[in-house]
Amino acid sequence: MTRFPLRAKLALVALALLVLPWAGWRYVREMERFLLAAQAETLAATARAVATALHERPNLLAYRARSESGLRIEAERELQRLTGGVIGHEDPTRDAEADAEITAILKGLERASSRIWVVSRDYHVLALAGSLKRPDPAPDSIAERALGWLLAPPTEDFDDAIAEDAIAAGREVSAALQGAASARTRNTRDGRAVVASAAHPIWVGDQVHGAVVVEETTNRIASLRSQALERLLVATLVVFALVAAMLLWFATRISNRIRRLSDEAETAIDARGRVTRLTTASDAADEIGDLSLSFTTVLGRLARYNTYLEALASRLSHELRTPLAVVRSSLDNLHAARTPDETRTYVSRAEEGLARLSSILSRMTEASRLEQGLSTAARERFDAAAVVRGCVEGYRLAYGKAQGALAPRGFEVSVPAAPVPVLGAADLLAQMLDKLVENAVDFAASGSKVRVLLASNEHEVVLRVENEGSALPDSIRDSLFDSMVSVRSEQSGGVPHLGLGLYIARLIAEFHGGALHAENLPGGGGVVFEARLSRTV
Amino acid sequence: MLRRIAIVEDDAAIRANYADALQRYGYEVSAYGERRNAMEAFRSRLPDLAIIDIGLGDDSEGGFALCRELRSLSPQVPIVFLSAHVSDFAVVSGLRLGADDYLTKGVSLPHLLARIAALFRRVDALAESKPVEERIVRGDMELDLKRFSAQWKGRRIELTLTEFWIVHSLARHPGHVKSRDQLMRDAELVVDDATVTSHVKRVRAKFVVADPAFDAIETAYGLGYRWKA
Repeated sequence: MTRFPLRAKLALVALALLVLPWAGWRYVREMERFLLAAQAETLAATARAVATALHERPNLLAYRARSESGLRIEAERELQRLTGGVIGHEDPTRDAEADAEITAILKGLERASSRIWVVSRDYHVLALAGSLKRPDPAPDSIAERALGWLLAPPTEDFDDAIAEDAIAAGREVSAALQGAASARTRNTRDGRAVVASAAHPIWVGDQVHGAVVVEETTNRIASLRSQALERLLVATLVVFALVAAMLLWFATRISNRIRRLSDEAETAIDARGRVTRLTTASDAADEIGDLSLSFTTVLGRLARYNTYLEALASRLSHELRTPLAVVRSSLDNLHAARTPDETRTYVSRAEEGLARLSSILSRMTEASRLEQGLSTAARERFDAAAVVRGCVEGYRLAYGKAQGALAPRGFEVSVPAAPVPVLGAADLLAQMLDKLVENAVDFAASGSKVRVLLASNEHEVVLRVENEGSALPDSIRDSLFDSMVSVRSEQSGGVPHLGLGLYIARLIAEFHGGALHAENLPGGGGVVFEARLSRTV
Repeated sequence: MLRRIAIVEDDAAIRANYADALQRYGYEVSAYGERRNAMEAFRSRLPDLAIIDIGLGDDSEGGFALCRELRSLSPQVPIVFLSAHVSDFAVVSGLRLGADDYLTKGVSLPHLLARIAALFRRVDALAESKPVEERIVRGDMELDLKRFSAQWKGRRIELTLTEFWIVHSLARHPGHVKSRDQLMRDAELVVDDATVTSHVKRVRAKFVVADPAFDAIETAYGLGYRWKA
């Protein structure tokens, strides 16, 4: 299962904040649509107003060909092309006053950024006023430029010429000349701006004599939209950054508190079942504080139970001593008293059983006496190399004489020639080595050697006891050093095994400021027990 | 003359068994189950030797108190503690009060009898007007085998009977290594190795009190102990 830390989860949740800018954008779009609609209405109203000013003035709308405006000529040519030259040539004369009058009216109605033209019944442009381009476009702000690549800003740089189809194909113009006011939106020829136009018929009596067309770009609205989006984007980014930072900080804090608590809980109970009180967050008034208190409670219970178990052996041994003494003294008396031969056999058997009981008792006592002794023992400097060498000599003698199921063992020892100073108690180190070697000999494959190695580096002294044989099962590897844990199958005869040897060895290793652990040899040929002792305690 | 031995032990079965064994051996035995009874009897007539259990009834240290009172009545009477406690602390406390030996309740009767016999021998040797001496001298140490006492550089070292036998076993053959088994046998004990170790440690500590430079008892790791030649 891949890890999915708290912070990542909160980051995902924070992404939900992205709905804010999206909502803002939608809102701006709605506003834009609304404004565009308003603009169209304004244009229509303007067209109507201008048309109204030109109503019932038939003489005004007679065609004039006086001006040589390129626009006009071009428009006419187009019209002729499109309509198949139906438009005939009319009287080119025109009343100069009428011309001036239209121009004056239009000038009065002139508005910045809209273009008004008056079209006659036969698609001739009679007058033109205004411009589509806005006078002073506001300079680009930094943000606008930055935004430019996201949203194309409105530009005044467009071709405002009337496109080929602008007039004739203009639906609004033809509709107006039919008598219905109409509106249209189109792109400029180069596609860089959008133009909204509205047309209104000019009535004379009940006949349409012409139309007024008002055009305007949507650039102003577009730039408003641009500014709004820019402000929205900046605001959203700032808010997003702030909130994300806050969430991240909060997540980090919680994550750290939990991790600290977890680390402390793991180390709070050491291998001996001693518990130190958890200090992290134990006074925090929230769920993590509660968790810490729960841990402390659970660990306390565990520690009490462990203490009870450890004291069990010593309590038992103490209690058993008196009844044992009763049995022993009775048997001794029986032995000395004059009894028929028949009972002697039973007496000897009882004595054998008693001897085994005593042996068990003394082993149980050994552990608890060691515990008591360790708490008051003095430490002194001694040479570990000498101790190990001496001990192995002893083992060679002791185990060499062993008979029966134990084949004579070979001992290999590797000890540095120089002294290895250790702070502790030499007797205890020897006792620990005794226990480890006893264990190794018991589990060694018959005929194989037991290796004892002592080595030291600048930080620690390492004592290893290796034996060839079956591997250590993983399940018991940690509990091997607990009191009264035995992994041996029942062996007939021999010394009863209580599982205290390794426990004692561990106590002594810890007394010397070190630790004891067991591993399978690489290659699986056997097991090694390694005690790492600190050089300075 | 029959020697009189007093046993103070609250467990009836053990008391009876020990009394039977001692009587069979030829001693006169007075057995008491309580401290009060024993003290009254001591005040009227001192025993020749007292075997005291430390835990008497409800008082887990009643034996210590009894020992103190008996010692105040007579500085010479041999006193042997018998107890279920095996902790070093209990042993040291007992010995500080002036007991001659400390045994755990698992001790076999023959061993107990051997000790009693030796303690009586010591009393006799001390009482003789012209003391017959049997001494071993090893360097700065002098062992008096009749009085079961040891001297180091002329200063008397207070040793229990068990400890004396251990020192004697080591010093008899300086330079020879004695295993813990051998020391146990010589000290009339059947105990575990750790007990022997703690006995030797106590012996060393007693000598060191008299002479901080004491190092005559050497540990041969894995093998045992030896008296430095």
